[in-house]
Amino acid sequence: MKGLWKYISPFAPDQSGACSVFYGLGGIVVIVDAGGCAGNVCGFDEPRWFGKKSAIFSAGLRDMDAILGRDTLLVEKLCAAAADTNAMFAVFVGTPVPAVIGTDYQALRRMAEKKLRLPVMTVDTTGMNLYDVGIEKAYLELFRTFAAASGPIQPETVGVIGATPLDMTCLEDPLHIENMLIGQGWSRVLIYGRNGLSNIQQAGVVAKNLVIAPAGMAAAVYLEKKFGTPYTTAYPVLKKNWVCDFTGKKILIVHQQILANALRQQLLEAGASAVTVASWFMLNAALKEPYDIALREEEDFIQLADNQTYDIVIGDGLFRKALKHFMGMYLELPHFAVSGRM
Amino acid sequence: MKNKPYSITIKELVERGRNNIPEECISSTHLIYNSPAALAFNSPGAEGFGVKRAGLAIPGSVMLLIGPGCCGRNTTILSEMSGYSDRFFFYIMDETDIVTGRHLTKIPQAVKEVCEALDTLPTVVMICMTCVDALLGTDMERVCRKAAMYVGIPVVPCYMYALTREGRKPPMVAVRQAVYSLLEKREKQASMVNILGYFSPLMNECEIYPLLRQMGIKKINELSRCKTIEEYKSMAAANFNLILHPESRLAAQDLQEKLGIPSIELTRMYQIDKIQKQYYILAKTLGTVIDDSIYAAEARNAVTKFVQSHKNVIFAVGEMMNGNSFELALALVRYGLCVAEIYSNLGTEDYVFLKQLAALSPNTRVFSNLSPSMLYYEDTGNRIHVTVGKDAAYYHPHAVHVLWTEEEQPFGYAGVTKLFKKLQEALDTEGGDLQ
Repeated sequence: MKGLWKYISPFAPDQSGACSVFYGLGGIVVIVDAGGCAGNVCGFDEPRWFGKKSAIFSAGLRDMDAILGRDTLLVEKLCAAAADTNAMFAVFVGTPVPAVIGTDYQALRRMAEKKLRLPVMTVDTTGMNLYDVGIEKAYLELFRTFAAASGPIQPETVGVIGATPLDMTCLEDPLHIENMLIGQGWSRVLIYGRNGLSNIQQAGVVAKNLVIAPAGMAAAVYLEKKFGTPYTTAYPVLKKNWVCDFTGKKILIVHQQILANALRQQLLEAGASAVTVASWFMLNAALKEPYDIALREEEDFIQLADNQTYDIVIGDGLFRKALKHFMGMYLELPHFAVSGRM
Repeated sequence: MKNKPYSITIKELVERGRNNIPEECISSTHLIYNSPAALAFNSPGAEGFGVKRAGLAIPGSVMLLIGPGCCGRNTTILSEMSGYSDRFFFYIMDETDIVTGRHLTKIPQAVKEVCEALDTLPTVVMICMTCVDALLGTDMERVCRKAAMYVGIPVVPCYMYALTREGRKPPMVAVRQAVYSLLEKREKQASMVNILGYFSPLMNECEIYPLLRQMGIKKINELSRCKTIEEYKSMAAANFNLILHPESRLAAQDLQEKLGIPSIELTRMYQIDKIQKQYYILAKTLGTVIDDSIYAAEARNAVTKFVQSHKNVIFAVGEMMNGNSFELALALVRYGLCVAEIYSNLGTEDYVFLKQLAALSPNTRVFSNLSPSMLYYEDTGNRIHVTVGKDAAYYHPHAVHVLWTEEEQPFGYAGVTKLFKKLQEALDTEGGDLQ
């Protein structure tokens, strides 16, 4: 049945993706929910939460707030929190509750900006889309609000889009990427999402952007249009130590597209006969091979892989549970947005 | 006040009175800081028992969660826990479901497919509903009846409506009603009692078991100890229910109305004299007498030994632990110990403890775990020596910790004994020169 998932637990939702972009940027993030969504974001989808404090708050909506649409009360709560905090901005992140009651985010933003005298953003996530949709919306909102042509292009500066824990193999990957880019001759690396808002504000001066996850593509396209900044895609620090002979093997990879493409390249070089990328997440047409597969339901994956079509399946360990008849080799490649593990 | 956590002394709180609790301590008036210390409030499923895990308390049950994907996200943790894998299923709603309500017509078929995917037929399918259906005003009782007729096994709604958290029937109250709702009238057994309240068993060494036997009780039921559906159903024959957690009151009320089982409520406390008084009242109500002297003496000995060796240590008490933070702080203070800070979500019912605390320790400071200002709470070195509660441990990483969050539930004298033995052990091994 469409919609019924029997083996695989739900993936990180769009509000988690949006929050991962705003994390640690120095603003107040208000998740417009009753509490459970914020709990899931902080307790499950944000690995940095237990090591680094960030002003992520739940709106703490109650039934009458939702029924009566008490946006004024929400804005008052935000103002009270802002009075205790040195925030650079505020952002409202949506959940199923505002989606169902039809919250007017533009009105909410205007009301809050008027009272707060801070830049206020809104992200209309619904909890019904996947994390990458939220990441995409959040990056766009950030760059639209804060990126400015603050000077001439710096030819030795590169920007990195998409470095959120939900799309990386480990929390140290941004550092590894930075070192690698410096090793390639770039003198400054601006990883958007690090160094507070500063890197975002300087997005107009970078010579090139590197996109490491498909959720960053829309922002890269926006920056190209606005500042003429070219971009490229790669996941340059992928290292797997599988002891395995890939020669002549048919392989299926299920992961975020740019990382999966990087792995495909490595596997083909290692002698694999065919490598297919499949994903429930964004599959950008420009980065997709004709035989790559967009998954929608759990059943799509079972039909694709729970048989002998592939010799090897590579993906998060959580997917394995759905492959009761697959007799080939399963290689685990953790995806935080899937299992909450790196 | 920028960059400072809000706090207030016990004395000030009592002077203001229960009708004038500061807004900073009332969660509905401010944004909620979802600190690692407060996660149990906002996402109980990620810690201990939330609606999802609690809803699977009936032996042989499985759960179908109907909601947007985000609502089932933390279930990944539960699915990996022993006893819960293969018990969670999801119908992931999309926007069309919300607009048209079509998901409701699909539930019977979804339940059927879930049953077919399992090696053995479940005893009951719990349908977990979210805020979305709360707002849509779904009549889930009706939907579940239809599904039950379709598959031929019980289908029970389980409401995970976070929006109603501070209402008359919050989710953890509703789920307690749900898990007892399958009990059907049976012939009474005079010597049988049900213990209601927790989703995990009381500690085996708890004196409540021998004391109840002294009172003539031969069979003591706890939902979490039921291994089969028949054991679960036999709870309907109990002569009375013992409520150990206030969130079970409505479930007990249902059992009184439906099955004619009356109930008596006991409170988890750490003050030995109050525990004793409570047991005597229970015995008197049942028309018997009890001898609890051995258990009370054991608890007193544990307290005395600790106080003698660690009289000068300073405590911080949190709310992420098995107890009421104000009652535990009061117990510690009454034993002659010092409690400097309490982290808690204050309620009017806590004033009964606050008034006594104000007389003994007026300068103890109360912090609201949920206040946004707790973002700025800083551990200032060696001010706190010992913490009780996971939240207190988070705020004071360098102190000696007793998390006191075990699933096996402490209660009565045995709870006091175990707590003080743990404190003793923790300070003896990690306390350095605090003795």
